[in-house]
Amino acid sequence: MNANLRRHWLLQGIVSLGECGIFFVAVLGALPKSLRYWRELCRQVWFVGAMSLVIVMVCGLFVGMVLALQLYYTLSIFGGTAALGTVVALSLFRELGPVVTALLVAGRAGTAVTAEIGLMRATDQLDAMSMMAVDPLAYVASPRFLAGVIAMPLLECVFNAMGIFGGHLVGVSWLGLDNGTFWGNMTSTVTLHGDVLDGLYKSIVFGGVVSLIAVFQGYTAPPTSEGVAYSTTRTVVFSSIVILAFDFVMTAFMT
Amino acid sequence: MSHDQTASAKHEPSSDALVQVRGLRTRIGDKVIFDGLDLDVPRGSVTAVMGPSGTGKTTLLRHLTGQLRPDAGSVRVDGEEVAKLSRRALFALRERIGFLFQNSALLTDFSVFENVAFPLRQHAKLPEELLRDIVLTKLQAVGLRGAAGLMPSELSGGMARRVALARAIVFDPMLILYDEPFVGLDPIALNQVLRLIRTLNRTLGITSILVAHELAAIRQVADRVYLIANGKLVAQGAPDELAHQNSPWTRQFFGGEADGPVPFHYPAPDYATELGFAGRAQ
Ligand SMILES: Nc1ncnc2c1ncn2[C@@H]1O[C@H](COP(=O)(O)OP(=O)(O)OP(=O)(O)O)[C@@H](O)[C@H]1O
Ligand SMILES: [Mg+2]
Repeated sequence: MNANLRRHWLLQGIVSLGECGIFFVAVLGALPKSLRYWRELCRQVWFVGAMSLVIVMVCGLFVGMVLALQLYYTLSIFGGTAALGTVVALSLFRELGPVVTALLVAGRAGTAVTAEIGLMRATDQLDAMSMMAVDPLAYVASPRFLAGVIAMPLLECVFNAMGIFGGHLVGVSWLGLDNGTFWGNMTSTVTLHGDVLDGLYKSIVFGGVVSLIAVFQGYTAPPTSEGVAYSTTRTVVFSSIVILAFDFVMTAFMT
Repeated sequence: MSHDQTASAKHEPSSDALVQVRGLRTRIGDKVIFDGLDLDVPRGSVTAVMGPSGTGKTTLLRHLTGQLRPDAGSVRVDGEEVAKLSRRALFALRERIGFLFQNSALLTDFSVFENVAFPLRQHAKLPEELLRDIVLTKLQAVGLRGAAGLMPSELSGGMARRVALARAIVFDPMLILYDEPFVGLDPIALNQVLRLIRTLNRTLGITSILVAHELAAIRQVADRVYLIANGKLVAQGAPDELAHQNSPWTRQFFGGEADGPVPFHYPAPDYATELGFAGRAQ
């Protein structure tokens, strides 16, 4: 890489973006070969999915509860508290579910993936694999990327379910809304195609983005303790920015 | 020695070279590592590469396996130009090469057993029973069969090296590259490892290249020694020959003297100047 190009931060950013793009293509190219390592894929789905389950469930519950409280207050101004179930569900499915889940997974699993791969690089384990004629792109990078794409929408569903449960807890059990109104309005307004699936698509894209950033940062981390530390931080920072930016763009196109 | 000798067809060391390096030139950053290196490793031989620390012995091994591309010159392994191989062909070549990393490089997520089994699991579809037998045989050969269930973090440095050694030889490859196999071994383990290298060579005809500093050990196994310094081959010959050869390079290197053509110091500005004495001395 041209040393002068590297100097300016803006150019450096563009160069990194290009490298990430090339890396993305390489990871995609290694996907067919990585299916041979399906055990590794299962292990990674378990790692990203199951390990993030608790935090996603707890956060989903609280987000749903606080949503119900805030929206109940707003709706009561207009005398429309009967719509509480609908607005809680819509906010979750369309927006908060995908975004908050992605942010949580980036912090919980993305950082771990970056640190793990960075450390594997630093201790020559990736070199050792490629010396044993095992492509680290296919064995290490691709399964972790794919695991993010698979686990994220599943986690989003769990998050949404917990959120609605939390909303129900606050709206019906605490604030005393009618149970039938809560569910009835929700089920008659929320659509599968417009709302639930749109959120799921977002989740799949976010899953890809978060795991791509995490794997790329780990793969290119300088083989030092400081290098791995910075890369881990960058995973969270870049993931958060890209998730929110993509969310805006996708929402604009979907609605 | 419990090494299985089924493939006991004793290879006659043939005259053609398995590894052929011609006019190798490499620089890393601004530092010239190789400046026209020529070197041949005959099939079925045990060849030692010696040289002062930091001359590029590890770098040379990285060239042989295609981890690094030369700036100029050619590196041929088994007749194939390594730098020109496609990724697929390179990996096919690597399946036939065992590599012992200088720092062991065990996979920390796997147990000792799984580390040694790793290359077999990836490339050979063996029944679990047979795989277990092969792995345990190799572990027995390095004296660590009992440690099969341990994790790499539970090993001492010398034990880790022996596990890495077992992993490098598990495939009975055509060529084994040992980067400092004797470091951190006690005299007993050292003897066992020497016997292992010899057995692999004599019974299976495996060509070995070993980078090492221990002349006494090298004398016991190596057919030929190459001494590399300043990016070039400066001496070669049978170990005993070389130790008594009367060139300034060998005299200094094997005599362990600080002064001579082989630099002990990494290139640096004048000592006195850097410490700030130069001005005051006047
Ligand atoms: N990634 C790198 N960046 C810059 N210089 C490097 C790099 N890797 C190796 N070098 C330089 O290349 C030279 C040769 O390194 P190499 O590891 O091949 O030495 P060696 O002969 O194996 O030494 P030792 O006997 O200590 O293992 C060293 O001077 C080192 O400073
Ligand atoms: Mg070395």
